[in-house]
Amino acid sequence: MNLLAGADELPRALLALEDGTTLCGRCCGAEGEAFGEIVFNTSMTGYQEVVSDPSYAGQIVAFTYPQIGNYGVTPADDQALGGAGPALRGVVVHDMCFSPSNWRSVGSLPDYLREHGVVAIQGVDTRALTLHIRERGALKAAISTVDLDLRSLVARVRASEPISAHNFVADVSTRKPVDLPAAAACSAGQGRPRVAVIDCGEKRGIAERLVAAGCDATVLPWDTPAADVLAGGYDGAFLSNGPGDPRSVPATMACAIELLGKLSVFGICLGNQMLTLAAGGSVEKLPYGHHGGNEPVMNLLTGKVEISAQNHNYGTVFSSLGPLDPELSDGVGKHATDLRFWSKRRVAPVVRNERFGRIRLTHVNLNDGTPEGIQFLDVPAFSLQYHPEARPGPHDAGYAFASFVRMIKGDPDYLAVDVCEGRAR
Amino acid sequence: MPKRTDIHKVLIIGSGPIVIGQACEFDYSGTQACKALRGEGYEVVLVNSNPATIMTDPDTADRTYVEPITVEAVTKVIERERPDALLPNMGGQTALNCAVALDEAGVLARHGVEVIGCDIASIQVGEDRELFAAAMRDVGLEVARSGIARSLEDCERVADELGYPVVIRPAFTLGGAGGGMAHDRDELLRIAREGLSLSANGEVLVEQSVEGWKEIEMEVMRDVAGNGIVVCSIENLDPMGVHTGDSITVAPCQTLSDVELQRLRDHSLAVLERVGVACGGSNVQFAVNPTDGRVIVIEMNPRVSRSSALASKATGFPIAKMAALLSVGYTLDEITNDITGATPACFEPSIDYCVVKVPRFAFEKFRGTSETLTTRMKSVGEVMAMGSTFEEALQKACRSLEQGHAGLGADGLMEYVEDDAAFLDLVSRPTPQRIFYVAEALRRGWGERRVHELTGIDPWFLARMGDIVRAERSLREGGVAGLTSERLMAAKEMGFSDAQLAWLVGQREETVRALREVLGVRPLVKTVDTCAGEFASHTNYHYLSYEAGGTTEFRQAARPRVVILSAGPNRIGQGIEFDYCCVHAAMALTARGFETVMVNCNPETVSTDYDTSDRLYFAPLTFEDVMDVVERERPVGVIVTLGGQTPINLARRLAQAGVPIMGTQPDAIDLAEDRDRFSGLLDRLGVAYPPSSTAETIDEAREVALRLGYPLLVRPSYVLGGRGMAIVYGEGDLATYMAEATEVSPDHPVYLDAFLEDAIELDVDALADGTDCHVGSVLEHIEECGIHSGDSACCHPPFSLSDRIVRWVRAITRTLALAVGVRGLLNIQFAVKDEQVLVIEMNPRASRTVPFSSKATGVPLAKLAARIMAGETIAQLRRLGELGEEKDEAGLFAVKEAVMPWARFPGADSTLGPEMKSTGEVMGIGRSFPAAYAKTRRAIDYGLPRGGKVFVSVCDRDKRAIAPVATSLVGLGYELIATAGTAKTLRAAGLACEVVRRVSEGHPNIVDEIAGGEVAFIINTPHGHESRGDGSILRAEAVNRDITCVTALSATTALVQAIVAAREDALDVIALQDLT
Repeated sequence: MNLLAGADELPRALLALEDGTTLCGRCCGAEGEAFGEIVFNTSMTGYQEVVSDPSYAGQIVAFTYPQIGNYGVTPADDQALGGAGPALRGVVVHDMCFSPSNWRSVGSLPDYLREHGVVAIQGVDTRALTLHIRERGALKAAISTVDLDLRSLVARVRASEPISAHNFVADVSTRKPVDLPAAAACSAGQGRPRVAVIDCGEKRGIAERLVAAGCDATVLPWDTPAADVLAGGYDGAFLSNGPGDPRSVPATMACAIELLGKLSVFGICLGNQMLTLAAGGSVEKLPYGHHGGNEPVMNLLTGKVEISAQNHNYGTVFSSLGPLDPELSDGVGKHATDLRFWSKRRVAPVVRNERFGRIRLTHVNLNDGTPEGIQFLDVPAFSLQYHPEARPGPHDAGYAFASFVRMIKGDPDYLAVDVCEGRAR
Repeated sequence: MPKRTDIHKVLIIGSGPIVIGQACEFDYSGTQACKALRGEGYEVVLVNSNPATIMTDPDTADRTYVEPITVEAVTKVIERERPDALLPNMGGQTALNCAVALDEAGVLARHGVEVIGCDIASIQVGEDRELFAAAMRDVGLEVARSGIARSLEDCERVADELGYPVVIRPAFTLGGAGGGMAHDRDELLRIAREGLSLSANGEVLVEQSVEGWKEIEMEVMRDVAGNGIVVCSIENLDPMGVHTGDSITVAPCQTLSDVELQRLRDHSLAVLERVGVACGGSNVQFAVNPTDGRVIVIEMNPRVSRSSALASKATGFPIAKMAALLSVGYTLDEITNDITGATPACFEPSIDYCVVKVPRFAFEKFRGTSETLTTRMKSVGEVMAMGSTFEEALQKACRSLEQGHAGLGADGLMEYVEDDAAFLDLVSRPTPQRIFYVAEALRRGWGERRVHELTGIDPWFLARMGDIVRAERSLREGGVAGLTSERLMAAKEMGFSDAQLAWLVGQREETVRALREVLGVRPLVKTVDTCAGEFASHTNYHYLSYEAGGTTEFRQAARPRVVILSAGPNRIGQGIEFDYCCVHAAMALTARGFETVMVNCNPETVSTDYDTSDRLYFAPLTFEDVMDVVERERPVGVIVTLGGQTPINLARRLAQAGVPIMGTQPDAIDLAEDRDRFSGLLDRLGVAYPPSSTAETIDEAREVALRLGYPLLVRPSYVLGGRGMAIVYGEGDLATYMAEATEVSPDHPVYLDAFLEDAIELDVDALADGTDCHVGSVLEHIEECGIHSGDSACCHPPFSLSDRIVRWVRAITRTLALAVGVRGLLNIQFAVKDEQVLVIEMNPRASRTVPFSSKATGVPLAKLAARIMAGETIAQLRRLGELGEEKDEAGLFAVKEAVMPWARFPGADSTLGPEMKSTGEVMGIGRSFPAAYAKTRRAIDYGLPRGGKVFVSVCDRDKRAIAPVATSLVGLGYELIATAGTAKTLRAAGLACEVVRRVSEGHPNIVDEIAGGEVAFIINTPHGHESRGDGSILRAEAVNRDITCVTALSATTALVQAIVAAREDALDVIALQDLT
């Protein structure tokens, strides 16, 4: 909302970054203060899905598209399971829409943010902010409508705890097991695989896709012991997305180690990092992460490119999973730092992992050559770093859920699926 | 997959002349395709009849044929060049249609030419409504319910089944020509009759109406591997019912949620796959029900389009270039994104600004036609603006139109009727000005809900406009004292121009600018980078925007900068020709070591391609916006004489603001354009010109008329394209003209010139450097004086003038160029009457004929002009061998002919006159004048009248001269029919002819005869204001039936010669590269 169209009545707000950058604006959500790590998201639509995505816990999200809130909000787009509110700390926009329009809309984004206590600032040059984050990396930041003193707020940002210091997964995970309702069209039981969802911040979009793919899913707390999962009679386990530093959730990682080889395992985002760590590999923090709906990822098994939705700051270090097996890697024995080495050759290289045998790189990000998916060849497991459920974003990778079911059912070639499948109808 | 090595030579077909629905966006795409393919080592052969294009420059393609886009001519090119492949999806519907025809004629198979980019079958599925509907059902998508009709009865039957309103769409036409929405039976019959006659296969689709639904376009690309991306979504502000080319459109889509938009993305890619677009760019249009999200597929175009040009400019993703690379086998992931230089082209651009396109119309040129916008496109150009918000972009787009708007109102330009009923109609009926009425309705407190109900415009857009209106009120109430830095910044963030702010607070524009300067409210340079800042970009594609506390992305340059002001939106009288000149200047000056900075707001053009100049600013061509660019770039010079009248109109103010003008100085421009100063100069130099005078009132005009005698050519000053120009034959006409003239250009008087009947008109393009002058071309017009030079055909070299006259014309050109002080290009129009040479007017700037003259003579006039402006002299250019001696004889004749948009404007009279009405031009090159002229006729009509009856009806003045022409026609085997008066003349000449009734004489009459389908062409020369009535009905019927109607005797003679030439001469195709 422009100052001359009513924004002069909104309280003033201040955005401060740990490097001393400050930007003034107006409050367009809840009043108060929020500290967190600032990231930018380049999706042009899907702000409600982003705001309500549990993976953003502990973060302040700046939208690069300048006018946000245009089509309002609707409960159907919320991504937190079980009606939980947004977990992110704050929202930064250039221009907030207070008068949305869309037949699905039940209210405005600023009202929604206010209701859920999310602090938000508008009137910021979000492009300049984005370029700054791109150059400096993800930074600690704060939005305040209380402390409008530049030096004071910057000092308090610097003193605030880093995102890695806290286990955000514990904040957003379910407290007790919950069965997901089956898709309306199918009845329970009868050849439907039973899946344990280890909830580190499970997005509703993922839950819905698992159900739509034919799974009977039960959502379990993030720290459920592996023995409990294995005792539950599940056919497969799903390791969900989630917020924060993957190293802050050792319990989930420990669970993953136990599950591998015993159940069919599928992981997304944090789940991918869990599998990596479970295999003894390492994860690294990307300079400013991937947050958007336009990232090209090649499925090395098909050579097809998926335009993908992404939201992660950490990622797998492929070379850490073990030495390359030249026989299975087109004769190449030396790891490439930039994995586009493989996408250019259309080769899915395989490493020898000490714990779990052969692990294949299946997906590569074409923008920066980072790994986006791995497949265990000697135990039934695969994982993706990006978001095949989209919400928001393109549906190209939606086949991953069907792949999971095919893996559970024993199809050896479960992951080589053409993105065009399922596009029509 | 890497590029194909089994093909070496690729034929690209262009889109032909600029017509409504198919404009210079196809020069942009074709030029990109040529560059991309040559860059990959392919040999490119090009066919396009439009000389005003960059793609037909001899160095754009390897082999360039400026020939008609007909099966006949293209077959000859194929026979001569033997290409391996044909890329048909760069030249709009014209190229696709030609490809289909070549395929059907067996030419492609015979010569082993493979169609790449899209195949013939997919073109047919994309274009044939019935096939398309079936294909969509296959992939589970809904299309509007419809029925195919082949007769009026069919149409009625289908419409009764579907229920009114219905939409009528003919198959295989451009920009929805011949289509429209019918709310009742009468409308249905009227539209269907026209649609059936225009449809290439005699079919029309009668379709359920989705009027009022949201209209969304998706620009999609796909490669041979099956990778698909959506480059851009575009939302029409005007809902379904208005052709997307006539709608205000916004990118990205604003009012759809991610769930809805992703579904459209899936649909779009599924449509491409089903239609069978193997690779390339396509456009898919959807209607979305605003109340429940239901989606209907409207159409898809398996080719680059106007929308894909817009999407390319809006995102920085060059669709045509990519499509060309995909067609030779690359996949999207193998191509690098030009802008980032580091990431692949296989991604979907994310933009962090809002883009608004507003069409520009020319209804003022076509009196008598309705201004209501329909599913049939009528706009002649468009502007695009970028801003951080929709509000900013919309206001910038409004002022980019160059129609006097300083933004969305708040500028004192328009007066709105008080009467609510009359105003209601203006708000609810879609017209070119409706957006301003909508704003006014909001100003009047009608409320967004009511305006939404009246217009169907989404409430989100109305709320944004409501905010603009609210801000406007706040600014007005706050007055100049209220313009604090915070509020001034907020106003600029909303896109208010200095002129609007000045009007709102009762100050001068200069004062607002000075205040901004003092308060530090300045625009920031922002960059179009395809990725919303996620990756570093290396391309200087910019727009200006205001951000409180923001950061500029301006980068210093090492080399001296030159700012080139281009021509803004295409309009009748100022189009692609000027863009061509600006592009040439950028090429020439970049090569000379300057950093070139282009400023323009027209998304269709080559000049707004980010790699045409070193820096591109997408900005309105107003004083404020140009000054903002100049203040950032601090150039060594600004070029104002290549972009038509647009930059010329800014020249004086820029100079006064201390901006260095490169080339001809504003005072010299004024000397040539100010009639009094110019005639003073002519008197002093002893150069003859038609007696003329000025008048500010009707009494003064009467007095002038008495002195000079009728007929008189009357016109306002400082206009382009003959706007408001007329020939008056008596006092009645004069009074009418003077009464209407004030609305044209209020600050300037009306000029009255003695009109030279039957004089030959000449156009001269020349270069001058202050001490020397090089006459580039002397063009002889076919049509006589009195018909606007832009609408007249012309020929190089002159075909009927003596050497003495040509030498005389050259001498006067030299004298005037030096006397006025031209540095760069100039154009002079001459009239030759009774062996006397008279100067009609002089324009000290690039003219519309520069591209044609350059191609006809092989001398790149615009490039040389830019170098002269930057300090080189003609003598130096000659020494460098860049410029040869003046010459007229080339052994070949080049003819330029104008293309008229009559069929788009039913109700407007289709005669030529002093006001320009053509939208484009074609060129024909031949070994004789008639052969060259015959090519131009074929390039326009795609054929020449072969046999049958010729209807002749000429005014008294032409009766003597008609007999020889008619004799030739009879000799060629035509039968003559004529009205009684003309028949008398013909019979006196011993020619047999049938007499038919005039329309006013009852039935059966000439119109019935035309309807009978036996009339091959019509010769009808009107005289003066007799243009209304009988002749007008006749010409309208000719337009409807697509029958050639010649309205000037001179053109008749040329046409008859052309018919002869076409019969005798095989009309060989000629490559430009072979001319020198």
